[in-house]
Amino acid sequence: MISYGSDRNIHRIQAVKASMILTMKNFFADPQWIIPSIIAPFIFTLVSLFLFRNVNGPVLMYAVLGGGMMGMWGTTVYGSGSSIMFDRWNGTMEATLSAPSPLIWIVMGRVIFNTLEGMVNAIFILFIGLMWFRVGVSIYEPLQFSIATILTFVSLSSVGLILSSVYVLTRKAGFLENGLEIPVYIATGTMFPIALLPFYVQGFSFMLGPTWGIDAIRISAIQGYSGFSTGYIPDLVIMCLETAIYFFLSFILFTKVESRAKINGTLGEY
Amino acid sequence: MASAEGSVLMDGLRVLRSSIIFGRRGSIIWDSWEMWILQIFILPLTQMAFFAFLAGSINHSASDVQYVVIGNAIQTMSFSAVFSVANITSQDKWQGTLTGLIVSPANRMALLVGRASFQIVMSTLISAIGLVYAHFLFGVSFSGADFTGVILILVITSVTMMGFGLLISSIGLYLRTAMIMANVFLFISLLVCGVNFPVYYLPSWLRVLSYVIPMTYGVSAMRLAISGSSIPELSGIIFTEIFVGIIVILAAYILMKTFEYLAKKTGRLEQY
Repeated sequence: MISYGSDRNIHRIQAVKASMILTMKNFFADPQWIIPSIIAPFIFTLVSLFLFRNVNGPVLMYAVLGGGMMGMWGTTVYGSGSSIMFDRWNGTMEATLSAPSPLIWIVMGRVIFNTLEGMVNAIFILFIGLMWFRVGVSIYEPLQFSIATILTFVSLSSVGLILSSVYVLTRKAGFLENGLEIPVYIATGTMFPIALLPFYVQGFSFMLGPTWGIDAIRISAIQGYSGFSTGYIPDLVIMCLETAIYFFLSFILFTKVESRAKINGTLGEY
Repeated sequence: MASAEGSVLMDGLRVLRSSIIFGRRGSIIWDSWEMWILQIFILPLTQMAFFAFLAGSINHSASDVQYVVIGNAIQTMSFSAVFSVANITSQDKWQGTLTGLIVSPANRMALLVGRASFQIVMSTLISAIGLVYAHFLFGVSFSGADFTGVILILVITSVTMMGFGLLISSIGLYLRTAMIMANVFLFISLLVCGVNFPVYYLPSWLRVLSYVIPMTYGVSAMRLAISGSSIPELSGIIFTEIFVGIIVILAAYILMKTFEYLAKKTGRLEQY
């Protein structure tokens, strides 16, 4: 029994790894598709920096970090939707679902790669922002900054996983990925404090793990930054709790969605 | 000779008419109702909200927020006038109908303008809804507005930006897809067309791009019309926008013929 369980875990890890490698190969075979997912965050950041042009260094750093976060979000939202959509277009959806490995492990590999790609986008946007607008690079607490960034990366992956489960069921992935992009930028306070948002939107913001992540990133990067009243550690604890809930929900959703999609027999429709 | 020219004109008009009909039907069939709602109601609202909150967060005055809101209300027409129009050739590639169209003797300009014409209606509608949001949700006052001017500018900007969409669409004949370019130009007007801040904020090399995109003039004219300028007062900027629009449409035609030739020569028509 122990051997069976450990074999199963190894197979799952192999499925995640293989899926990541395949997603990476697909990306390098046709890298132009990265543009749709980064162009909006990139332009939004540049516009923001032009609007912020009369303010001082820390505020510019706030905007540049927000731009990086938008880059990660954009790739997560688009990457999660597109991975399933491309399966439909390429006619590989049925084959992927009938593979012995549960779909969630295959999708997890894709989501992890997409989020990694998002981090590269974030660095690219940060770099352009820093170079063009000559924002001084000084990370206040580099270690805390790195921890917050890595945990936010995990949190974004968990959001990507939930989104992907919805995309399996619906043919409207295009609708969701286009419709969600700007609202998540608004709701997570990438470019402005969420205190400016109406009360009912703030409730939604606090349910998104990356909202806490970006606050923790800013606390650790900008000296004297006053974000949420919670502080660095509580921000990370709340984000980790929410991330755990997202992962748990993803497992439930994937099990239900996978079986429902097979019963409906409409997997390949788009 | 006159009869032959008349026949060419009649053929062109016939192609234009049938393209308008097929373009409208195709758009309605291809896009789901959710995409319509997204394009017409949700995307303009979220984009306007993002930049309005952003402008507000930098302690800008209400007038600065209104500047941003009006700019974005007009810019959102790009979802239809630029993105949808630019993807016309790519959609034909995906559906396998591009080769059939290219071998037909139909006038190319009539064909493409006809296909894109439905998006003029759509983009006008999207920006009109954006202006409604501007008034009811973001507090933009229309009390002194010249409504004839507002409608005129909406229509002219939609037509000229459709021409800009055609320019990008023509690239799709040669490249594997125009979607990437469509995505770039969907958002680039946010940066270079005076939508969120005046064009003079930009470095001079980037301003060149501002002046060749009709949106720059449309956004500026709309702000003036809303603040009460009459049509005669707006005539200068409107004529400039029309002039730039005509140049853009002519450039689209020349590019289309060039890329059609290149695509035929290199056998890339069906590549996507």
